[in-house]
Amino acid sequence: MLVKKVSFARDTLLDPGAAPWKQAAMEIVALKGTPLALQPSPYIKAAWKGREIGKIKSVRVQALHNGEEIFFHLEWADATADAKIGNDNAFPDGAALLFPMSGDAPLQTMGSKTQPVNAWQWRADFGEQGKNNVAEGLGTTRVTAVSHITCRGSWRSGAWLLVIARPLAVPDQATEAVQFRPAAATKIALAIWEGSNGERAGVKAFSQAWRVLQLQA
Amino acid sequence: MAEDNVGRIVNGQVVRPKQQLAMVFDLNKCLGCQTCTIACKTLWTREEGMEHMWWATVNTMPGRGTPKDWEAMGGGFQNGAPRAGRLPTSEEFGEAWEFNYDEVFYGGKGEGAALRPQGKPPTWGPNWDEDQGSGDYPNSYYFYLPRICNHCTHPACLEACPRRAIYKRAEDGIVLIDETRCKGYRFCMEACPYKKIYFNHVRTIGQKCIFCFPRVEKGVAPACARQCPGRLRFVGYLDDEKGPIHKLVKQWKVALPLHAERGTEPNVYYVPPLSPARVDADGNVDESKPRIPIEYLRSLLGTEVDGALEMLKAEMAKAKRGEKSELLDTLIVYRWPNQIFPDFTKDPATLEWSRSDTTRKA
Repeated sequence: MLVKKVSFARDTLLDPGAAPWKQAAMEIVALKGTPLALQPSPYIKAAWKGREIGKIKSVRVQALHNGEEIFFHLEWADATADAKIGNDNAFPDGAALLFPMSGDAPLQTMGSKTQPVNAWQWRADFGEQGKNNVAEGLGTTRVTAVSHITCRGSWRSGAWLLVIARPLAVPDQATEAVQFRPAAATKIALAIWEGSNGERAGVKAFSQAWRVLQLQA
Repeated sequence: MAEDNVGRIVNGQVVRPKQQLAMVFDLNKCLGCQTCTIACKTLWTREEGMEHMWWATVNTMPGRGTPKDWEAMGGGFQNGAPRAGRLPTSEEFGEAWEFNYDEVFYGGKGEGAALRPQGKPPTWGPNWDEDQGSGDYPNSYYFYLPRICNHCTHPACLEACPRRAIYKRAEDGIVLIDETRCKGYRFCMEACPYKKIYFNHVRTIGQKCIFCFPRVEKGVAPACARQCPGRLRFVGYLDDEKGPIHKLVKQWKVALPLHAERGTEPNVYYVPPLSPARVDADGNVDESKPRIPIEYLRSLLGTEVDGALEMLKAEMAKAKRGEKSELLDTLIVYRWPNQIFPDFTKDPATLEWSRSDTTRKA
């Protein structure tokens, strides 16, 4: 995935419906449910046996940067906007981007102790503040106190449109967030949670392999 | 800490704590006064997001309980494997109602204003079917069932959490949710067969009875137990042979676990309720048939309930004959608090408390 450099204002690029997103190159990323056998608790394996994990089958992804911040635009079809929790048995829709903290990391296990991963998490009930997570394996995600991730999500006509953005470099999070540089390459993976299907935690749809993410100089 | 395996199965056996705190509730004494539920509420669940929480409940049985029909919501274990459960809805738990206090107290309307829930008329509450019970006159029956988190020896909630956010303390077996690790996934709420975990919508975390651990650490009984005017809530260590818990559970075996078939080995035990004999249409009393059907008590407390009731009756007969009954002396609790929670007799009003008693990692 090539992240082209553009010179639009931050507020423009944060708007999921803005002009730059109508022109930017787009990739359709196929998603599959996480494997039941890897769910990190025997209860989840018992409760989700025979149920569909990962209702969302694909997501359209675009990415741009303006030399200061990087912007990811996601769009996926979702018949129901599960925008908040509202009930003890209800779950909101969510999406996340995953990056290896440095170079590479095992994707299927959400990283490892020696190769952690950094997740940028949006959930429909989070508002504008996305959450920054670090993980070193299944079940170990830790939300960091600091997050420079901004999200703007809106649902209309059966689809979520979402922009997740962050400054390219976040020096105050050197050990807990991936750092981007123009012309550099890293990897990216995506996950989508369908709230109406009770999806949360490791019960989600995700892109099965890392994709190369190349920033234009 | 979460690194311990206390409460988990290792090499085919559950890892037990060094000691296990337990409670015994004597159902012959419970009047359903709800002092325990309010004691807990005023102490622990007054914050934003906790308005609907009742970590301690007392429900009329037979009845649908709290949450509504919790007994049919699955969870626990079956043949050693986790059993899928479902999440109760907020309505099934009973939502916190807003009342028109200002209007009633200060509105100047006198008897023209009545205290009532505002908004849509509720269709369920935590104690909606209180005192309805079952049976037909003159043989109707009910009793009260106080419930808290059972701090199970093999907690289904602990095992269900994919983040290991729930742990069981090695020193006393108290089961706690680590609020810094919980992300509100709510698998624990599905897995608990007693449905005693609540969801805090403001903090998006699960919360439940903490066995008043900051109090027990200082030798003070949990609030629900200490406030109970009925002297029916015994607290102590399960294996302390000198204490009342061991005597009632292990020695005399009159205190039984609730729904033991759910497989979590709960540590709250119940002395079953005796009841008057049934009367037929001609006024004949049938001593062999108590008004609370034995089948119903078996469904809650297991088949050992027959023996427990017989033991109670035999000891009551002994006492009637003027003989000493150690069992009755234990159950009556002549001296409070020493005979009901001998290890937790401190008066909380005489101690210094600080916020960090509750917020440090236990």
